[in-house]
Amino acid sequence: MEMELRNGGRTATTITGSNGTINLCPPSHQQTKTVDLTDHVHQLPCCIKSNAPSDVSHYFKPKSSGLEIDGGLVVQEAYFRGRNLQGVTIPLPQGYSGFILGKKNSSKGEAKKTNGRGKAPEISNSSENSWEMLAKCRNLTFWNHDSLPSHDDASLRLFHCFAVAKALHEPVNAEDLAS
Amino acid sequence: MEAESALPKWASEPCIMGIDEAGRGPVLGPMVYGCLYCAVSFQNTLASLSFADSKTLKEEKREELFESLKVNESIGWSVDVIDPRELSAKMLKKTKINLNEISHESAMGLVTRVLDMGVLLTQVYVDTVGDADKYCTKLSERFPSIKFVVAKKADSLYPVVSGASIVAKVTRDRALRNWTFDESAENMHRNFGSGYPGDPETKAWLEHHKHSIFGFPTLVRFSWGTCTTYFKSGTDVVWEADSDLDEDGSVNKNGKRQLKLSSLGFTGGKKNSEEIESSGKGRCKFFQTRKLEQLTQF
Repeated sequence: MEMELRNGGRTATTITGSNGTINLCPPSHQQTKTVDLTDHVHQLPCCIKSNAPSDVSHYFKPKSSGLEIDGGLVVQEAYFRGRNLQGVTIPLPQGYSGFILGKKNSSKGEAKKTNGRGKAPEISNSSENSWEMLAKCRNLTFWNHDSLPSHDDASLRLFHCFAVAKALHEPVNAEDLAS
Repeated sequence: MEAESALPKWASEPCIMGIDEAGRGPVLGPMVYGCLYCAVSFQNTLASLSFADSKTLKEEKREELFESLKVNESIGWSVDVIDPRELSAKMLKKTKINLNEISHESAMGLVTRVLDMGVLLTQVYVDTVGDADKYCTKLSERFPSIKFVVAKKADSLYPVVSGASIVAKVTRDRALRNWTFDESAENMHRNFGSGYPGDPETKAWLEHHKHSIFGFPTLVRFSWGTCTTYFKSGTDVVWEADSDLDEDGSVNKNGKRQLKLSSLGFTGGKKNSEEIESSGKGRCKFFQTRKLEQLTQF
């Protein structure tokens, strides 16, 4: 099951796969404005063995380093547990949206909310494979330890797949077929 | 007179300098390297200014002495304040830089700075860090025109070093007093105590400020053994940098970074390992080299 997340807008979009459901429409009981975590989604070069919410914005304070890498990407600096991290923020391409998903807790009927700034949503122990949208984002920030971000990093290279997907899925016309 | 544009006349005569540090042992705050220099001919006057080992003086007395040093036109001084963030970052790098190396570099930085100002340094006295002979050799090789004396307890033997120790200690105390927390969390306070790991007040501060995910505020030196003890009771964090090495110690040929799905929040309850590495198995080369794999379940 290929997962392509197009700009869902506000219409109810449910992708059903072989194992579960993902509901990208904001549940009616939540506040009307969807939580926007743009600039607040970070991928760190470590594995934090916790899925609980945390007061990230009180402790994680990225600052511009003044350096830039190719493509006008500004390198940011931050510290996590004493280690110096350098990162870049990559916007999602036109036509794509980022979704932060949470598993629906079947016993409560609603997914547990983070405090809006958590690194990961709380994952319930429900055996149902039912997910819903907790927040959206329009960019991701990738952090390296001890090395400047570079376009050779796997995290930046993964964005190539968007260009490829576009090329693959764009309609062709008769002229292209003929050549 | 730190960083003055006009060089005093005496600086063109042969000069001596003392270097000492403050804040090497504490688990909090910056480490400061300080230096004091004057003309060789001023040495005796300097000796009469009654600096003692800064550690034995009370804080007010040290402050007083520092202020009198600053206004004395026959004395020059300079400091290198090494931020705890820098200490943590350097000591926790993939290729670690240890505290002795950081100390040596700081001391040499001060010598370079003073030489660059045009001061005719001929003798430098330092308190030893690590092996005295090796340190002396290292310094002499870097600065062939200077005679170095590296000694234990140099601050009690040479007035220039006692003076440097005052400069360093007062600078460190002020830096700690004026520390601005990066963190905006509530309930943070400034009763650090001395900052030494054995100090009950410092221990209490650490206990109060520990955080299961972030560890501590950046005031703390994360490379200190003290911290590792606290981390054991907090959330475990595993760094790619620590697990990147192959058996023979070389970096994994796939490159340093792998897309860890777990740090994106995808942790399937049924998976055995919490660290799901995206190997791109079964996919074409394009996806493999970008560490992407198809998810059918999460």
